[in-house]
Amino acid sequence: MITAVGRHIPAAAFSYCKGIVEMEYEEQKQMVIDALKKKEKTKTKFYFSDLAKILDMKPREAKKIVNKMVEEGLLVFWSSGSTSMYGLKGAGKQSAAEHEEE
Amino acid sequence: MAFISSGYDPEKPMENRITDIGPRKYDKFYPPVIAKNKGKWLYHEILEPGVLVHVSETGDEVYTVRVGGARFMSVSLIREICDIADKHCEGYVRWTTRNNVEFMVDGKDKVKPLIDDLESRKFNGGSNKFPVGGTGAGITNIIHTQGWIHCHTPATDASGPVKATMDVLYDDFKDMRLPAQLRVSLACCLNMCGAVHCSDIAMLGYHRKPPLIDHEYLDKMCEIPLAIASCPTAAIKPKKVEFDGKTLNSVEVNNSRCMFCGNCYTMCPCLPLADGPGDGIVLMVGGKVSNSRTAPKFSKVAVAFLPNTAPRWPETTDAIKKIVEVYATDARKYERLGEWAERIGWERFFEKCELEFTHHLIDDFRDPAYYTWRQTTNFKF
Amino acid sequence: MTKHKTPLLDELESGPWPSFVSDMKQEAEARAKNVNNVEYQIPVDVVEDLMGVLELSFAEGETHWKHGGIVGVFGYGGGVIGRYCDQPQKFPGVAHFHTMRVNQPAGKFYKTDYLRQLCDLWDFRGSGLTNMHGSTGDIILLGTTTPQLEEIFYELTHNMNQDLGGSGSNLRTPSDCIGQARCEWACYDTQDLCYQLTLDYQDELHRPAFPYKFKFKFDGCPNCCVASIARADMAFVGTWKDEIRIDQEAVKAYVGGELKPNGNAHAGRDWGKFDIEKEVINLCPTECMRYENGKLEINNRECTRCMHCINVMPRALRPGSQTGCSILVGAKAPILDGAQMGSLLVPFVEVNKESGYEEIKDVIEPIWDWWMEEGKNRERLGELMKRRGFQQLLEATGIEPMPQHVSEPRHNPYIFWKEEEVEGGFDRDINEFRKRHQR
Repeated sequence: MITAVGRHIPAAAFSYCKGIVEMEYEEQKQMVIDALKKKEKTKTKFYFSDLAKILDMKPREAKKIVNKMVEEGLLVFWSSGSTSMYGLKGAGKQSAAEHEEE
Repeated sequence: MAFISSGYDPEKPMENRITDIGPRKYDKFYPPVIAKNKGKWLYHEILEPGVLVHVSETGDEVYTVRVGGARFMSVSLIREICDIADKHCEGYVRWTTRNNVEFMVDGKDKVKPLIDDLESRKFNGGSNKFPVGGTGAGITNIIHTQGWIHCHTPATDASGPVKATMDVLYDDFKDMRLPAQLRVSLACCLNMCGAVHCSDIAMLGYHRKPPLIDHEYLDKMCEIPLAIASCPTAAIKPKKVEFDGKTLNSVEVNNSRCMFCGNCYTMCPCLPLADGPGDGIVLMVGGKVSNSRTAPKFSKVAVAFLPNTAPRWPETTDAIKKIVEVYATDARKYERLGEWAERIGWERFFEKCELEFTHHLIDDFRDPAYYTWRQTTNFKF
Repeated sequence: MTKHKTPLLDELESGPWPSFVSDMKQEAEARAKNVNNVEYQIPVDVVEDLMGVLELSFAEGETHWKHGGIVGVFGYGGGVIGRYCDQPQKFPGVAHFHTMRVNQPAGKFYKTDYLRQLCDLWDFRGSGLTNMHGSTGDIILLGTTTPQLEEIFYELTHNMNQDLGGSGSNLRTPSDCIGQARCEWACYDTQDLCYQLTLDYQDELHRPAFPYKFKFKFDGCPNCCVASIARADMAFVGTWKDEIRIDQEAVKAYVGGELKPNGNAHAGRDWGKFDIEKEVINLCPTECMRYENGKLEINNRECTRCMHCINVMPRALRPGSQTGCSILVGAKAPILDGAQMGSLLVPFVEVNKESGYEEIKDVIEPIWDWWMEEGKNRERLGELMKRRGFQQLLEATGIEPMPQHVSEPRHNPYIFWKEEEVEGGFDRDINEFRKRHQR
């Protein structure tokens, strides 16, 4: 008989947050800001996966930090319509909407 | 034009903010006869083109009148739809996946007044506002994308070719003479924000020239790494260029690798690729999404390029009309266009539809190409 | 209405099909007249300017829109698409012309008071032009200025209990077929599953953390009216496990000609007398039916539930009553490596409202975890599956392999055996080997 849905939990679920669990939000925030500022001269928009790598976290954990930084107005979204990216607020050549003062 | 606030305070965006509430709940918008009979429907029948009856095990019936129209729609027209729904349908109305509008009534006696009302309404220019049809073995509304009305990378318009095509196919919207239903769709560039890869007939906007490079402004307006990363075929590289005696950072495009997708233009306004004579329509045929009889199929390219002849795209509508007529005459009952083409063989399809077979129609894009070449001695002369 | 001459567009006012040009003209006129004294928040002549831009595109064959990176309202990473006109001096009314995606109700049923409220809002704060609906399913509000975005969102959420839809690397606005609301073939409540998952995954819909877009679509039966199998990263297609329900009297009525086949869908032509052998039995892809002595027999064990016989004789045949859905994953449009159809991952799962669809979420969430960790930027699920193989998808979801997963077994023997699958493992003693074989 076909077993339709397994209840097996993937291995990935057990290895969340490699050792960074204890790190405070403020430090994590600074890590992101520092890393993005370092690259600011050439690049100001980043994929979510870049941020997760900076934070050295599993995506779902990194998302919590990133969302918080968005709510605090530190990070802003940029979208091509099909793909989303993140950047520091005000950074980059295409940061503000065109012909509009922000 | 004084600015009127909704109550939102830009200084405190999170104050009283409501988020993550999703759509309105579907059952708040069900007409009573739907709410009462949901999950209890026994069967349906098409009474005439555009008019369906569904019969419930409770004995209730719901009559649906389907009308076609442009998905690009003004609030004036939506309000008129509301007026009709208020007058005939207790204030309920729905849209279909293919941009048709459906008016539902719970008694047969209410159908004729509704149809008469719908069909009496014309736009000032003379076209029908609410043509009844689009059911059964005929042609229903075209699903499509934005085109020149709103998109930044279209290689053709959407509303224009759709209007022109539906004018040409109008009789089959109002009739059910075809061997099976025939689904037409349009996407205005290869990114297909409206997928057309499984349609009986698909119009696909296609650019044929690589982007222009605005060296003077590129480094001022764009982030070069993003422009480079946006290219799916890795055709863009950084390059220093001499401009007005200065050395500027810019990019170069390997034209032979460019697939004309426009993703670089999305990331960088200094890489535009719209081009009047270069842009046009690819015609694809033979796709389907239903699992009925045969597995779902992808559409195949039947015509590599047709020009954008605004306002009525006659080359495109002529080709479509021809394919529809040959299919209507030649296919067996229930056979979808793609099933028919496969049964008679693609060599016959091109012969019967009087379409030229050019090298463009032989796949040469990556792995899947190999499996589309003929690997048997079975072919027709 | 003479702001711009539009001779090319005017040619699209004739012909029987509803003319979007005439509709634009009526909207332009309504705004100019403004009988209700609306305090328009964006230029009153926005529609005229849009017609002007479009006429220019018709004349030149080129678009005049530029993409803008505006993505949404504060805190959301999607729902708004930024647009700017590249001829703003000529067409100031559409210099900024952003789109908002409004999450449509499942099934696209509406009550007119809701629609009127939406029209009033869009008249007041936008262009008065819409798409009913966009390709993914949203109500598309077409054309407004940046300062209006938050105002519109505020009014939508506060006054209309209505949220935005998705765009970008998000869960896109899920959509469904009409389902059990008005279709006898729907094998589960598409509207409820669509609604519930949309609500439960609001965070995934509004705050992008995926490698790329992700689509759910819900089809009530294998006819796939919303094209889930071709378009959705996860397609939920209704199906059944037990026997097709037969009303033998109705079968006879079809054979006798009292009932019209296919719900009368072929009424536009005289196809001759209904022939059950030719039109049903012989078109059955599994040859699992026969009609003898006035009785239709179906060998249900061999049936693959393609729907053809049910489509042709809807009053005689109905899907079984043990219903649920199949889940297919990885469908996408051609860009980049070619189009992909959804691949069957879960042949059958009950669609269980009472459990809050736990059984279905148990499939969704491990797939997301796998894709979020393994997926490259801008890689759809189907592309990841192609790159890493179906086996990894099975491992990630804990689903056992079965012949239903393939249309045929592999053509090559190049199996990547894992060490634990091979007796004795990979670590061997070369000296032991040398005892049996000389150098």
